[in-house]
Amino acid sequence: MKIVVAVKVVADDQDIFVAGDRTLDYSKAHQVISSYDKNAIEAAAQLAAANDGTVTVISAATSKATDAKLKKDILSRGVDELIMVTDDALATADSFATAQVLKGIVEDKVSDYDLILTGDGSADFYAGQVNVQLAAALGVPTINEVTSIAAEGDKVVVERTLEEEVEEIEVPLPAVIAVSPSIGEPRIPGMREILAAGKKPSTVDELAGGVDAKIEIEEIKAPELAPRKQQIFEEGDIDAFAAAVAEALK
Amino acid sequence: MSDFDAIVVGAGCAGSVAAYTLASAGKSVLVVERGQYAGAKNMTGGRIYTHSLAKVFPNYQEAPLQRKVTHERISLMSPDSNFTIDYAARELEEAGKESYTVLRGPFDQWLAEQAENAGAEFIYGIAVEDLIIEDGKVKGILAFGDEITSDVVILADGVNSLLTSKAGLSKKAPAIHQVAVGAKETIELPADVVESRFLCNPGEGASWLFAGDCSNGIIGGAFVYANQESVSVGIVATMSEVLKQDIPVYQMLENFKNRPEIKPLIAGGKTVEYSGHVVPEGGIKMMPEIIGDGVVVAGDAAMLCMNLGYTVRGMDLAVESGAIAAKAVIKALDAGDTSKAGLADYKTMLDSSFIMRDMKMYEDAPEFLENCPGMFRGYPEMIRDIMTPLFKVDGEPRQHVMKLALPPVKRQGLFKLAKVAMKGVKAL
Repeated sequence: MKIVVAVKVVADDQDIFVAGDRTLDYSKAHQVISSYDKNAIEAAAQLAAANDGTVTVISAATSKATDAKLKKDILSRGVDELIMVTDDALATADSFATAQVLKGIVEDKVSDYDLILTGDGSADFYAGQVNVQLAAALGVPTINEVTSIAAEGDKVVVERTLEEEVEEIEVPLPAVIAVSPSIGEPRIPGMREILAAGKKPSTVDELAGGVDAKIEIEEIKAPELAPRKQQIFEEGDIDAFAAAVAEALK
Repeated sequence: MSDFDAIVVGAGCAGSVAAYTLASAGKSVLVVERGQYAGAKNMTGGRIYTHSLAKVFPNYQEAPLQRKVTHERISLMSPDSNFTIDYAARELEEAGKESYTVLRGPFDQWLAEQAENAGAEFIYGIAVEDLIIEDGKVKGILAFGDEITSDVVILADGVNSLLTSKAGLSKKAPAIHQVAVGAKETIELPADVVESRFLCNPGEGASWLFAGDCSNGIIGGAFVYANQESVSVGIVATMSEVLKQDIPVYQMLENFKNRPEIKPLIAGGKTVEYSGHVVPEGGIKMMPEIIGDGVVVAGDAAMLCMNLGYTVRGMDLAVESGAIAAKAVIKALDAGDTSKAGLADYKTMLDSSFIMRDMKMYEDAPEFLENCPGMFRGYPEMIRDIMTPLFKVDGEPRQHVMKLALPPVKRQGLFKLAKVAMKGVKAL
């Protein structure tokens, strides 16, 4: 079973700072795996282990993502191979453009895939569109919010955990499946896995032909901070204060 | 056959330099660092004296150092006064003698990068739990069920080195009067603002150390360092004394930042980092054994740190000890003997280096400072009582300098002061 995981590389959100003019400062942020994609990688690794399969991670990223540490991090999570295509315009590319680039990678390098996994959405934009658009571009079925996958011959049986019931759906392969984080906690790679990651194949190519973005981004800004209430109570007015606190806690 | 020639635990100054030196000599090296990147868990005031770094990296000026220190400032701070010396000398700016302010985040990543480029392998985000020890010889490391073996393990895992005791090398845990606790804030300001506030030329900076009321009158001190686009402000206080205080260390730092002497230095800045760390201050007397069978200890883990009040050093010692440890390990690997005897050169080389020469020379400094409470409460006030009348003009009758100076000095005890001065001259 040949499993492909489409992974987005994003700036580590704990090190993105909001400047005074509400613009975002990415200068201190390392490039990391989009957090929901870690669950997708884990699901792929477990599915591959159970079915004697292989896991190939593909990524449409910017040149910043060619960082050795990031590549090692991807490859230490039960992944066999990494294929990356870079173009700095991908930093703000819309889902359509990203899906087109991913389609190119799939057709060029892993056209014999059985299953493509993605996270439900990315840690930065969370549009939740790439799996759908990629499946459409490849002409294969897709399903999202999947919480478990089991392989059965030329199809997979997936579960979607809804509010009141669990849906069980058979999906013929090849297919694109977007998984929810609850499909499984990503592993913490061990020393052996990290060491082995350095020796696994990884290729990085610059994107030929450019990014076909349909959406133009004018600006990215942090939301305006809501003004604080700053309710000040007169000294001795403890009852009114207590009542206000009780009200706020309701 | 081991997985690696050497494993280094900790990617700080000592660890990365040791890894760089080993990898450059063609040895296979693995560095395991518990932080998500080098420098993630490290802290300095701080400044680095570059002499030892320059020996390992002639290109050290390419490192992300902050500002070359051109102003040495020392202050004695009483609750309501502050006496400052500002010293600048061209010689202290010369290559090989100069120092730079530094932030460990960027600096340690640069060091690790040098080692990685030389061929060392790095694993981040894993805390080594234990050592593999067979027949008394260290054979490798263990973490999360994974074992990795090597002919030598270099412990550069910092001041709170649990592995040193697992290797059977540490004396008993340091006493609480031998360690200090530090808290620091990095406050972001534009470069030209830093320069004008610290009276420095572009690219140049200042180191500023304080004793007295900044540590609430107990043994300790405060520091301010001018970085490229930030100011580091912090407090260091001896652990045993901190425990007796009614205000915690972070409150001391807050009080210090609010002093009228400090506030304008950081006004309008944004706190971008807050950190705390333990500082080994016991000097040579708290050093562990630094060599065992298949294992050596370097940097803070070996308690290589010197606080004399007017200079504070740790990173230049860490760099040198990392380099020396690696040289001894290379020799032992080449000779095929990584037993304690085979690694003995580490101690020989360390003893004849500036590290042990200086550690021995200042052997009595920690105790001198500890037994000299006046430095922290008493002398700053004495200076104030001398200086204030000197500058005070209020229409009242003036007095001769001698008459002004004697009473405050007498209050401290002339004989006692002379004795302290003598001891100080000997210890420092």
